[in-house]
Amino acid sequence: MIRREFLMALDEILELPPGTLQGPEELEGFAHWDSTAVISFMALADSNNGVRLAPREMSSCETVDDLLRLAKVDV
Amino acid sequence: MHAAIRAIEYHLPENTISTADLAAQFPDWSAEKIDAKTGIECRHIAATDECASDLAVAAAQKLFTSGACSPQDIDYVLFCTQSPDYFLPTTACLLQDRLGIPTTAGALDFNLGCSGFIYGLGLSEGLISSGQASTVLLLTAETYSKFLHPRDRSVRTVFGDAAAATLLVATNVREPLIGPFIYGSDGAGGPNLIVPTGGSRQPRTEASAREYEDATGNVRSGDSLFMSGPEIFNFTLSAVPASVDRLLAKSGRTLGDIDLFVFHQANRYMLDHLRKRLGIPPEKFYVFMKDCGNTVSSTIPIALKSAMMEGRLPEGSLAMLVGFGVGYSWGATLMRSTEMTSLLPSKSPGLISDP
Repeated sequence: MIRREFLMALDEILELPPGTLQGPEELEGFAHWDSTAVISFMALADSNNGVRLAPREMSSCETVDDLLRLAKVDV
Repeated sequence: MHAAIRAIEYHLPENTISTADLAAQFPDWSAEKIDAKTGIECRHIAATDECASDLAVAAAQKLFTSGACSPQDIDYVLFCTQSPDYFLPTTACLLQDRLGIPTTAGALDFNLGCSGFIYGLGLSEGLISSGQASTVLLLTAETYSKFLHPRDRSVRTVFGDAAAATLLVATNVREPLIGPFIYGSDGAGGPNLIVPTGGSRQPRTEASAREYEDATGNVRSGDSLFMSGPEIFNFTLSAVPASVDRLLAKSGRTLGDIDLFVFHQANRYMLDHLRKRLGIPPEKFYVFMKDCGNTVSSTIPIALKSAMMEGRLPEGSLAMLVGFGVGYSWGATLMRSTEMTSLLPSKSPGLISDP
């Protein structure tokens, strides 16, 4: 899955209009960045990139790009 | 002799809470979102004065009323719960008395959650194949609702209360009908699904009852159940596929040999992900949680009963059962389906033999 597709999938997880996220956005600003969103992103990374994300590592991510790096998506 | 499941009955408490009710209480989560994430429309909730043992009694009485067996036939009671009546005495002993089971029967409690049914089957097969018992009443019952903080949506949307009664009888067959078994435990995950206080380690105090709000707006106290959904999901991704592989290797089977997969009914999102990751076709993967939610140790017997009623487990078919959760604890086994007297209540109980 390429970067653009990951961003679109993350738009859906965060209940944002398609095409909203570009990468530098801070996660803290999103009302729907909660435990269900974290799980959805973990599932996305596992299904598409075969990457198992540790919740503790994810909690240190500040921006969308930090998340993508963790999921081994080219930023 | 080996154990065979002869009948399963379950009981759900009368009070319910719907997804629409929860969406009204938690406006940030729509009914559609709760449904998409959990696959649950309705959860049954025990009354204030209703214990897990009361639910277990109702499930066992259904079993006796169905004609599958009488209390006099039971020579061992296994009670799986994390909501016992008391620290002591053993709730299974109280159940022996309440159900009119002979005083010559053995009875014990075991404290497990979502893996409990698999462990109960393993204990039953051990008791029966070693000749210690011939008719085991395996009861699973939970009232997690009593541990949940009313303002913690992360858990209130998922858990429901229930009990299941499974009758296992000695069967004169050469090969086990239930087994082999694989198990796993990892106490390092204990803090990720826990009721921290109320036991010996941390008594309940005024301080532990103090409420706090987490970063995403869920409210709880030290006295209520805490679940880290992401950590549990991570554990599941690690434990379940590996357990399926271990069980297939141990049994000399392939995924294609299995007619029906019945996993612990955690939530639909998790089950969908596991099914796809394991490459299991949807028609072989049984899901049953819409009307009862995640009932902890009772999800597998409730789903099994439903699958049987729908004719999804015809005689001779092979099911894979996988339980996983709090502890962490997990286990898996295979079950060869036999004729279920729960569906044929006129049949008298007794030993069943190879044709």
